[in-house]
Amino acid sequence: MNAVVCVKQVPDTETLIKLNAEGTEIATEGVKWILNPYDEYAVEEAVQQKEKAGDGSVTLVTLGPDRALEALRSGLAVGADTAVHINDAAFAEKTDPYATAVALAAAVKELEYDMIFCGKQAMEDDAGQVASILGELLELPVVTVVVKLEVSDDKKTAIVTREIEGGHAVIEVPLPAVFTAQKGLNNPRYASLPGIMKAKKKPVTVKTVADLGVSAEPMTVVKSMSLPPDRQAGKMIEGDDAAAKAIALAKALHEEAKII
Amino acid sequence: MPGTEITRELYWNVVGTGFPVARVLSYVLAFVAVVLFIRGLFRKGGLLEHIKMMKLASGPDVPRVDNTGERLKFAITEVFTHRKILREPYQGVAHLFIFWGFIALFFGTFMDFFQGDVIEPLFHTNILQGGFYLGYSLITDLGGILVLIGVIMFLLRRYVNMPKWLDDKPEDKIILWLILVIAITGFLLEALRMQATELQPGNPMNQYVWYSFGGRLFALLFSGLSIKTLKSTHLFMWWFHLFIVLGFIIYVAYSKLLHIFTLPANIFMHNATDNPALLKAMPPEMFETAETFGIHQLEEYSWKDLFDTEVCIRCGRCVAVCPAFMTDKPLLPRDVIQNLRDHLEAKVRLAVDASGKVSLIPEEDYKGPALIGDVIDKDTIWACTTCMACIEACPAHISQFPKLIDLRRYLSMMESDFPAEIQDVFKGMENNSNPWNIGSHSRADWAKDLDVPLLSKKGEAEYLFYVGCAGALDDLNKKVAVALAKIFNAAGLDYAILGTEEGCCGDSARKIGNEYLYQMLATTNIEVFNGYKVKKIITMCPHGYNTLKHDYKELGGDYEVYHYTEILADLIKNGKLPLKNPVEGLGTMAYHDSCYLGRYNKIYDQPRNILNAMNSGTLVEMKNHHEKSLCCGAGGGRMWMEETLGTRINQKRTEEAMDAGIKTVCTACPFCYTMLSDGIKELGKSEEMQAFDIAQLVAKAAGLA
Repeated sequence: MNAVVCVKQVPDTETLIKLNAEGTEIATEGVKWILNPYDEYAVEEAVQQKEKAGDGSVTLVTLGPDRALEALRSGLAVGADTAVHINDAAFAEKTDPYATAVALAAAVKELEYDMIFCGKQAMEDDAGQVASILGELLELPVVTVVVKLEVSDDKKTAIVTREIEGGHAVIEVPLPAVFTAQKGLNNPRYASLPGIMKAKKKPVTVKTVADLGVSAEPMTVVKSMSLPPDRQAGKMIEGDDAAAKAIALAKALHEEAKII
Repeated sequence: MPGTEITRELYWNVVGTGFPVARVLSYVLAFVAVVLFIRGLFRKGGLLEHIKMMKLASGPDVPRVDNTGERLKFAITEVFTHRKILREPYQGVAHLFIFWGFIALFFGTFMDFFQGDVIEPLFHTNILQGGFYLGYSLITDLGGILVLIGVIMFLLRRYVNMPKWLDDKPEDKIILWLILVIAITGFLLEALRMQATELQPGNPMNQYVWYSFGGRLFALLFSGLSIKTLKSTHLFMWWFHLFIVLGFIIYVAYSKLLHIFTLPANIFMHNATDNPALLKAMPPEMFETAETFGIHQLEEYSWKDLFDTEVCIRCGRCVAVCPAFMTDKPLLPRDVIQNLRDHLEAKVRLAVDASGKVSLIPEEDYKGPALIGDVIDKDTIWACTTCMACIEACPAHISQFPKLIDLRRYLSMMESDFPAEIQDVFKGMENNSNPWNIGSHSRADWAKDLDVPLLSKKGEAEYLFYVGCAGALDDLNKKVAVALAKIFNAAGLDYAILGTEEGCCGDSARKIGNEYLYQMLATTNIEVFNGYKVKKIITMCPHGYNTLKHDYKELGGDYEVYHYTEILADLIKNGKLPLKNPVEGLGTMAYHDSCYLGRYNKIYDQPRNILNAMNSGTLVEMKNHHEKSLCCGAGGGRMWMEETLGTRINQKRTEEAMDAGIKTVCTACPFCYTMLSDGIKELGKSEEMQAFDIAQLVAKAAGLA
């Protein structure tokens, strides 16, 4: 059972996000980068499916600058076998989900796979497009927001549970197929120390746009980004007793918040 | 020379004129006993076989026989003063009596031999006479009485007032009965002799019989018996006493009595480093080269770890003080040591060949119980708060809880097998250098509205104020950091903080067993400290204090580290911090000793001195304090784990405060502050009780809050 997992390095969820001078991108200075949390579920699922099948290998594919290697290493540390790093200055200038998917598809085509996993979306841009475009380019079925996956004994199909509003849907899909991982699919393991040490020695192939023979032309352009307004500090309602506080609260809701 | 008549006939009634059959026979029997004793040491499953296994143990250790003079002095002092044993007065006094009693009796027996078989045959004179004889009589009788009192105290404890944490195996009682019989038969023997000689009318010793007061009292039993009866009973008793004593000597090799030899040896080999709860060093390069980390097989311990198990006599003091045991968790430090000992014995049995050679069993060939899981349960491994009460309580200088940390290291680093809630803690430490995973950019936010100098702006300062994760990021403990900053400013202290350059000290990661993560955090901090040429550090958290002070040395970080209570006590003493405003409403208050300040670093007085200097409230002590203080439950990474087994340690400690009628619990540790604040809330005592960190109270008393 061979699997490919497309992963992305994103800013840590707790990191302080600032924008660049033009307001079109996240300023990268001082940012702590991590493997996209949804991709952790994707990697874990691929590794578990490999372990269950007892054979095969898991290959990670990412697109990103030099620092994205760290994200690959953290995936390799929890059980992925090899990795492909698409690293090209052309993407550093501008990219979008389409251009990313085109590059990923070109890299994935060179690999052997029965399943392709992605996180359901990247934590930072929340676009959630790459997996679907990738499926389209590879002419594979796509099942999104997966919370459970079982491969049939003959390994020809998979029974997949996906989250839908207020419930679950169970879907049968022929393999190979593209799956996007949702929280709850599994409990991603914590990398063991031997895992971390072995990951340093696992092979990572670097590819450029030229190597893949694709164009890096995006179809969309980000015009601007903005940060949410600073949250207002909470206000303590003062008063001598409960009744006085209630009056002050009602007054504040009416005059300041204008809710009542 | 007065009183050549003041003496006694050695071997009276036992050896007559002619060839001394009994005398020779008793030496032959003594020789046989010694041979049997040595055979006991070398027997299958005996100490020497175990030592062969210890020699195969591969774990690293610190020097154990360096500075011989110092070590010898320490061991002799510990053994002869019973310093640690006396911490439990009842058992301590009982053991002290038996110990010194036996020394007196040994002296008596030695003098008998020396006079009878050395002095007399060689010099034909008697040194056991006159004043010296009377002194010798008095000392041996006193020794016998002490042994008798001590052993009766122990028997009462075992049969009448047995604590629930005390182990009870057959040997425990056999030993006590043996000692009792030895002491009583010894006195009976003396009494029979005295009744037949010294107590007879006209005997020149008449006036000195009370120098043998034990024998004199026992002789009351025999008044009126005929000389013949006395003599025949005496002869029987003489041989009976001899046999029991020789049996006792042999039994030493087969029972926990062997501690007579192993325990002083262990004290001699005590941890002489300044790091009180020594964990095995893992040099950074080891992470690149080693294949396995932590311990999952017995032989991976150090030889000293295994020797520790041989020394333990199951006294159970470590159990009595263990917060996990007190709250019904499956951790009894004594049983950890004893289970390791049993495991050692079982493994030796598998590893020894016919010629007595012990060799390592390859891991793949070993089919016996697994160290982790079978010998020591995982729940046991994770229950420890690393409070060090076990080490502090152990008279044998055994290192108990660090042996569990070795197992945690294996589980954490090799198997990623730890309580599920810990994964987020590790991730938080990795990504944002704090266990809450709060964005590291907000680490200096607590100081935003204060005039707190940043080291990056100030360039240099006498003290680095290392705030720590809790002071910088936890809402409750930010108040303490603020109080400290105000105090430092008011006292004109030359200090600065690192702000966002500061990182987690790594203590929790280390005690959970993730040494790799700990070293990542520690080396990052050390690089920053050294970059600023930091020399003196003040920490708010005792865990940071202990880690920066002791543990960072192994990684190249050597600093003068102070806990804030040391600094405040000094500022107050030197008049730099006048406490003019008595704090209202404190009532009866007690200081809750932080384990990492108290037991780990012997800081007991400074927090109390500070509280006394405030002239506020009434300072008392809870039931457990100083060396015996009860942990809040948060050490050893337990702060971040659910407490699902037994009852809650923080509530137990809060109840102790309630029992002492405490209104204000004073802490000097952010973990303790959190745990006891929670304990008060959980027990619904928020109306009657409150918890404060000492820094907050000082700020109030100094008119700064």
